[in-house]
Amino acid sequence: MDIKPILSSLRRSPTGAILVALQIALALAIVVNSLFIIVQRFEKVNRDPGVDVPNIFFVGWVPSSDSYQGEVTMREDLATLRSLPGVKAATVINAVPLSGGGSSTSVFTEPNEKGRRADMNYFEVDEQGLDTFGVTLTEGRNFDATIVTKPPRNSSFSPSGILVTQDVAKELFPKESALGKTIYTGTSQPVTILGIIDHMHGSWPGWDNVGDVALFPVIPDETYARYMVRAQPGQRDAMMKQAEEALNKVDNGRVILKVRSLEYIAANTYADDRAMAVYLSVVIALLLGIAALGIFGLAAFNVSTRTKQIGTRRAVGARRTDILKYFLAENWLITSLGVVLGCVLALLLGYWLSTTFELPRLKLYYLVLGVVGLWIVSLAAAFRPARRASLVSPAIATRTV
Amino acid sequence: MFAYDLRLALDSMKRHPGLSALMVLAIALGIAVCTVTFTIYHAMATNPIPQKSDQLYAVTLDTWSAERPYDDEKPEQPPQLLTYRDAMFLHGAKAASRSVVMYKSGALLIPAREGVKPFNSQLRVTSHEFFGMFDVPFAYGQGWDAAADAGPQPVVVLSHETNEKVFGGANSVGQMLKLGKVEYRVVGVLQPWNPSPKFFDLNNGAFEEAEDAYVPYGWGKALELPVYGNTNCWKPETGESYQDFLNSECVWLQFWAELPTLADRDKYQAFVDNYARSQKAAGRMPRPLNNRLYDVEQWLDRNEVVQKDNRVLIGIALMFLGVCLVNVVGLLLAKFLNAAPLTGLRRALGASRRDIVRQHMTEVLLIGLAGGVLGLLLAVGGLAGIRAIYSSDFNGSSYERLTQIDPVIVLVTLALALLAGAIAGLYPSWRIGRTAPAVYLKTQ
Repeated sequence: MDIKPILSSLRRSPTGAILVALQIALALAIVVNSLFIIVQRFEKVNRDPGVDVPNIFFVGWVPSSDSYQGEVTMREDLATLRSLPGVKAATVINAVPLSGGGSSTSVFTEPNEKGRRADMNYFEVDEQGLDTFGVTLTEGRNFDATIVTKPPRNSSFSPSGILVTQDVAKELFPKESALGKTIYTGTSQPVTILGIIDHMHGSWPGWDNVGDVALFPVIPDETYARYMVRAQPGQRDAMMKQAEEALNKVDNGRVILKVRSLEYIAANTYADDRAMAVYLSVVIALLLGIAALGIFGLAAFNVSTRTKQIGTRRAVGARRTDILKYFLAENWLITSLGVVLGCVLALLLGYWLSTTFELPRLKLYYLVLGVVGLWIVSLAAAFRPARRASLVSPAIATRTV
Repeated sequence: MFAYDLRLALDSMKRHPGLSALMVLAIALGIAVCTVTFTIYHAMATNPIPQKSDQLYAVTLDTWSAERPYDDEKPEQPPQLLTYRDAMFLHGAKAASRSVVMYKSGALLIPAREGVKPFNSQLRVTSHEFFGMFDVPFAYGQGWDAAADAGPQPVVVLSHETNEKVFGGANSVGQMLKLGKVEYRVVGVLQPWNPSPKFFDLNNGAFEEAEDAYVPYGWGKALELPVYGNTNCWKPETGESYQDFLNSECVWLQFWAELPTLADRDKYQAFVDNYARSQKAAGRMPRPLNNRLYDVEQWLDRNEVVQKDNRVLIGIALMFLGVCLVNVVGLLLAKFLNAAPLTGLRRALGASRRDIVRQHMTEVLLIGLAGGVLGLLLAVGGLAGIRAIYSSDFNGSSYERLTQIDPVIVLVTLALALLAGAIAGLYPSWRIGRTAPAVYLKTQ
């Protein structure tokens, strides 16, 4: 097909074509970068947290009277919770995973803050902690009830043995197994690694090292303590009600506050990421819609102003498919111009985003995807006007002369 | 003249209702996306206390470890929070015209009222200057004095919401209220007050609600009230008692100073630096001297209150508006050129170029205005949607507060729509005005 006549016609009135190309270029830049951000958020939200999110819930409480007896009261409540038939495991815990709030500490492979270092997000749990999270050990063993202690209030306390995730183990001992190794707290107290957890996320989903988690055999201070309960599959909601009722029947110096599912908590933690993804998806949809309408509008206008010219061409022998091809080719040329410009814009925008906001650099296959997508949208938008052009009767040419 | 232009514009819009609607829609969508983004940005970037923001300073001291900075990613910044001994010294020295030392805590609130369940109330444990320094508005009663801090006296100031919940909104000054183990006498009730961002304490999220109740600072030590914000330590305490914690290098307190002039500020900086030097001489504060005073705006900036996401969205929204405008330019051009024979006739009958441009610009601005109004409606709907989907009591209703449209936003939106319309219309109007009438008359 000869594109010379298209080029010469474009040269004579370039404004409309330039505007469409510009629109496509801007649209491509936005779509590609937005899509890239959406996919990142989607991946973040859908990472495997390792923890049995759908079946876990939390019971908040605070001491309320003098009959509260610290560890004794907590153990009594845990016994109540564990006696419920739909409850698989329960523990007292110092923070809520995936909630954005928690505690962390640094450990070292040598005393005096020497050697390799890992920052761990730690949870204080009892012997059922591991089972309540629903995580498994790849090496070693869970701690047993005898080493679970309620320590004095002092930030330098550390338990004698702990469980850590593989992420932590690899950071501390990249070449050998961490099992049974002694590590040191910031105050040089020795701690033994009793077991290694396959994989789990801690409190801060936005943290790069969200998988650096440790479980301490410790009964937490009542200031932060709450109960974490894992229900049998499918029984969570029923158990949330029953747990609250059962605990409220016992009067042991504390009041039960909110009972919340981990699912609810995690959804709230990820709300910003989800909102960003949804918002950008809406923007992309609107953008493609607007761009398609713009292309359609201009193509339709072009066809309507050139009706006579089309009729003449038809009268001198052009077939319907020639006319159709002509307009589609014209559209394709304009779109391609826009797409080339758009690639440059998209890369610039991606560069700006990655340097200014420390986002990852735009992956090139998103660009390919965007280019193909816009070609299709543009072709689809131009198809109807082009078809209408092809239906122009040759007699038009004679009519208005 | 304007009435005539307006009539012509309306006629022209009616002649091509589809095309006109498309242009209004394009501008409306562009404006709506911008407005939604701007609204959230505006809420995040708002100065919560404009009348005093350059007189209030968050005071920070670098008390961290010799081995490493407080924040590895921003090693130049001292911790946001102070140790107990530093905060107590600075507050006691009275080197600022006013200062406040405080932290967030909580206690079980057991209402005497029927049907109200006990709940864990959020407490601000604060010295008495809080209310005066931050211009906190009272509905009933007032705050307390220095003697109540030192006592500590069992007095409490309630938020508007707590007073509604516990006393049904009545003037509860003089009433008793049990928080944890202590019975407090209500001395004041606030008006609804939720500065957003919650600049005076950003530890638990910049957009969470202000606390339910305020108690004198002395209660923190007397009752060993827990810290609900952050407690960060680099050096172990010497013992296990609460006093050991207070003596430790753990940072957990917020400290603000009111310094009316820049001279006051400089003087205070020198005072803090001198104090730090004396502490260094005594073997504390191993890091290089680095004490910073942040006014409210600097404080919000230092704590990155406006989220990165939102800045990204501003850029994307503006580009989106750009696409919509290019789109409108194309459509306008098509529309105007299509009606060129009519314009040619007007020119032939004596209309000047300026008349033609003015006539077309009127039409464009009309489209812009319609787009602006529609865009505003779409934005209100969009914000309501975001609120409905994401607002919950869990995130301190922050989405609730970030999605409120205010008059400033409405005005900015309409102005932006008109500006957008004008920009989009400039070239097409100029082009149609420039065209020689004869060309179009000929084709008739």
